[in-house]
Amino acid sequence: MIFWELSSLTVKFNNRDPVYIQVIRHFKEQIAKGYFEPGQEIPSRRELANQLKINPNTAQRAYKEMEEQGLIFTEGNMPSCITKDEAVLKSVREELIIEAVDLFLGSIKSIDVPLSEVLELVKKKHDAESGEAEESK
Amino acid sequence: MIEVKNVEKKYGRKRVLNSLSFTAEKGEITCLIGINGVGKTTIMKAIMALTPINSGEILIDGEKIRKESYEKVTFIPDTITMLPQMKICDAFAFMADFYKNWNPQRAEELLQFFKLDPTERIANLSKGNMAKVNMILGLALDVDYLLMDEPFSGIDIFSREQIAEVFTSHLIEDRGVIITTHEISDIEHLIDRAVLIDNGKVLKEFSVEEVREKDGKSVVDVMREVYGR
Amino acid sequence: MKNYLKLLNFEVNRFFKLYLTLIGLIIVSQFIGAVVVSKGYMNDVDQVMYKKQLSMSQYTEDYGLFSFDQFVGSEWFLLPIFFSIAVLMIYVFFIWYRDWFGKNTFIYRLLMLPTERITIYFSKLTTIMLLVLGLVALQIVLISIEIQIVNSIIPTDLQSHFLFYDFYSLRMWGWLYPNTFTEFILIYGVGLIFVAVLFTAILIERSYGLKGIFIAIVYGMLSFGVFIAPLLVNRLLNGYFYTLEVFLMELVISIIVLVSAIWIANYLLKYKIRV
Repeated sequence: MIFWELSSLTVKFNNRDPVYIQVIRHFKEQIAKGYFEPGQEIPSRRELANQLKINPNTAQRAYKEMEEQGLIFTEGNMPSCITKDEAVLKSVREELIIEAVDLFLGSIKSIDVPLSEVLELVKKKHDAESGEAEESK
Repeated sequence: MIEVKNVEKKYGRKRVLNSLSFTAEKGEITCLIGINGVGKTTIMKAIMALTPINSGEILIDGEKIRKESYEKVTFIPDTITMLPQMKICDAFAFMADFYKNWNPQRAEELLQFFKLDPTERIANLSKGNMAKVNMILGLALDVDYLLMDEPFSGIDIFSREQIAEVFTSHLIEDRGVIITTHEISDIEHLIDRAVLIDNGKVLKEFSVEEVREKDGKSVVDVMREVYGR
Repeated sequence: MKNYLKLLNFEVNRFFKLYLTLIGLIIVSQFIGAVVVSKGYMNDVDQVMYKKQLSMSQYTEDYGLFSFDQFVGSEWFLLPIFFSIAVLMIYVFFIWYRDWFGKNTFIYRLLMLPTERITIYFSKLTTIMLLVLGLVALQIVLISIEIQIVNSIIPTDLQSHFLFYDFYSLRMWGWLYPNTFTEFILIYGVGLIFVAVLFTAILIERSYGLKGIFIAIVYGMLSFGVFIAPLLVNRLLNGYFYTLEVFLMELVISIIVLVSAIWIANYLLKYKIRV
């Protein structure tokens, strides 16, 4: 079993959204960020429940949903794995990016500023950060 | 499943349980919520026939409680159920002697998980450690149903975390668990069903994830609505 | 049955340390007493013989012989016995109440055992009987040793002939050490019924709280009343019944009282007891 950081210290659940949905979301985030590789083995339902400190029934539900959405697959008695389907992975990334964009647009909507200026700022910030990342390598 | 049907109980003039009804399924964690004195501990004792009821019915898998039922359901109260002068290993030996369903390997496993010394006398244990031993006495039994009364009360946060770990592990899987607690916000994400009790009556019984999905409310939110506080 | 024996073993073990202490006390006190009383007697004899220049046979003519009763009636002998009786009487109550009080909530565990709850009652009842019989048996053994001790200090010429069952002729001892098997069954049977009724009374109190104390007392008095009814009726009718008839009536009544005590205890343990 590949060890991976998924302790409850890094995942904070809120109590208002269904926990299973929060788990699925977390998986999607990890996939989009590339922390979960296609075809990577994931913990069993029980192990996940224990690591995330959630109810095993919730873990069960999350897996069921993810299986239905094609995010994970289970072959026979083997442990479940992240999908290798590129289309699905792509759509997950897109889904999260669109979410981030919606969020971003929502926050700047109230600030009266032309889009071109905003995009300039975004590019500047992005370049600066990747430049730093380059230097620190 | 454990069915509590219209249970009435009077203590002197006070109606402690007022036509109280709820159900707890196997494989789910059901949490009884309510302030002190509202009847949570009483109903648990009543389920275990540790206190009489005036009317109503309590069924465990469709049957009234009998002596064999104690190999099917166990109760972990907030007080130790062994003699204080016993060592932990003595307590385990006692359980092994009387219960067919006692699982010594699991008891050993839990002892190590909780980092307890089997040669310690129960009377010399701290409150947190005593609660853990109490837990082991219940968890190491291969029972279908576990009743736990305030498993987190009066215990330091690290002990609490250890105990919470138990709830997400294989130790609880497939069993029916009924717990009572005050610390509901800590364990909201652990429970399947919530039963809100006030004045010996069930005000609301619901599936926690369902309410989150449909209404976007946490258990604490529902509590505020129902109790009006 | 197995659970009954396990519980019995458990209950006896719980009391064992205290029991050994009692036994130790009895042995020490009685052995020392045997020596002290014997030596004391010999001292007196020697003094008088010296002062009055008597020979032993002259002494016995004037002053009589040493009777074992002098030892058996002494505090050395009696005190530890009375003390043990007191301790056991207290334990009749304590054997139940100890599981409810203090840091001890062992009653939860007892009531949650996968066994008929009346087994708890029987195991505690048997424990008391065994403890009592144990001390009784011990005393018989000790007496024979004590006779040896006395004989080693006081020459047999100075002793009145001590028959083992003269010991029983003391009125009190007749109760504890009956001569015949029938008497034994009778007396310890009554003792058993007495403890059984007390146990049931305790369970009544534990089931009903404050008002339970009143009910328990009423129950106790009722049981006692029913129990002595045949004797009373016989007395009122100026000995109308033959002894055998009174005996048979008493036997039936006793069984009724015992069975009701057990039946009530069973009912309470199953349906009314509270932790």
